[in-house]
Amino acid sequence: METKELNKTALSEKHIGLNAKMVPFAGWYMPLQYDKITTEHVTVREHVGIFDVTHMGKFKVSGEDAMNLLQRLVPQDVSKMEEGKAVYTQFCNPSGGIIDDLIIYRLQNKNNTYSFLLIVNASNAKKDFDWIITNQNDSRSIKIQNISAENCLIAVQGPDATSVLEELGLPKDQQPKTFYVKETKLHNMDCIVARTGYTGEDGFEILISNDNAGKLWDLLLSKGQKYGIKPIGLAARDTLRLEASLPLHGNDIDETTTPIEAGLGWTVAPDKSDYLGKEILSKQMSQGTSRVFICFKMLSQAIPRKDCELFQDGRVIGDTTSGSIAPYLNCSVGMGYVDKSANTKPGDKIEVLIRNKKYPAEIVKRPFYKRKKR
Amino acid sequence: MAQNINMPENIRCSKSHEYIIVEGDAAKVGITKYAADQLGEIVYVELPEVGAKFNKGEVFGTVESVKAASELYMPISGEILELNDDLTSEPELINEDCYNRGWIVKVKNFSREDLNNTMSVEDYNVYIEE
Repeated sequence: METKELNKTALSEKHIGLNAKMVPFAGWYMPLQYDKITTEHVTVREHVGIFDVTHMGKFKVSGEDAMNLLQRLVPQDVSKMEEGKAVYTQFCNPSGGIIDDLIIYRLQNKNNTYSFLLIVNASNAKKDFDWIITNQNDSRSIKIQNISAENCLIAVQGPDATSVLEELGLPKDQQPKTFYVKETKLHNMDCIVARTGYTGEDGFEILISNDNAGKLWDLLLSKGQKYGIKPIGLAARDTLRLEASLPLHGNDIDETTTPIEAGLGWTVAPDKSDYLGKEILSKQMSQGTSRVFICFKMLSQAIPRKDCELFQDGRVIGDTTSGSIAPYLNCSVGMGYVDKSANTKPGDKIEVLIRNKKYPAEIVKRPFYKRKKR
Repeated sequence: MAQNINMPENIRCSKSHEYIIVEGDAAKVGITKYAADQLGEIVYVELPEVGAKFNKGEVFGTVESVKAASELYMPISGEILELNDDLTSEPELINEDCYNRGWIVKVKNFSREDLNNTMSVEDYNVYIEE
């Protein structure tokens, strides 16, 4: 794809100024890395990093019927969300397959009615928007807006993220708690600050208008300097999410896999009334699935990637869906689906076929990396 | 590309970005600085066995960056004489010093005809600009 056909975020000149290696990603011109990927990765684990994740799709769903529509679209129980709450969930098709995964943020009611923000994957944004429209059933008391083009999304991730936001004038006791969201001002600029992320660290994702995004980006870098803040590219975002065992749509989950198969059963409300995919998901919850999602650690130096065959006792048991080095754990790791008959307890041994050679690996507990509570 | 100004003079290059430096009866093979920069941080190198014979164009190993694996293609037919074992613990030597400490294999009984069919530094620099 030619560079000129790509969408550019309001921050792209900032990335070029920071000498980022820019690449096309899901139709966007995005920073892959500014520094060594492993350096960026460790910065987020130990200090704090900022990411331009403006490529993510951003929708607002509001009005009296907004709650009912979202209840029908996702397996989470949206009716239990108080104002200011966020949940990780999926859009499922009628067979339970995952159209996309997303975070729903319930904002403060506007004009005495519901207001939700939805953040979806860049590569699925158009499909998702069409899916929401298709399912709205011509309701008039609902408003669905695609606010992607006018807004930037900046992630601030790492153990020092809360200190950096404090430097920007949002004291720690006024910051939203984990999986909560708050509409507030940073340096007099309106923004939506969510305590969510895709790195396995504490941190925030901040929605801000394109006009103010550059100023916020610069402020984060300057105020965060004493905490060692660095800009982080998409490459480290991928190793961070994998090390935290967070699924990537298109790799680990897609329309042929259900949240139950993907080990995301904790995001499926067991006692919820009708929603798309419920029949299959309920059945899988009570009867189990024919394949299960596993996390494994390599016992040799070889690096697994997507689509490597997995073996146990000489027979094929499944395939990998993601794999890479885990820079903070000093080993290589992978995730994938295996047949339910396989032994998948932590410590059980498997083999991974990499370039026609089998390498030993060991099932480990999910997630590979879990941050220490401070 | 400025990064190629430090290429040794007696070097030959393949279209798949391997280099060859003849040292007496042996030929030292690695990947060019251009290729190393394109790959990014190299974190793993899979080496062949000493004594293995490869024809020109055959895969003799793999270098992996954080993001992806790239196969190494033998630029000249020959037999593996020696491996750079340092790459097992320090694969980043390929990024840091590809023509010296970051060499990958040494080849013996290699085809002089294949060598003549590789590119000179000048031709390679034109090739990567294209």
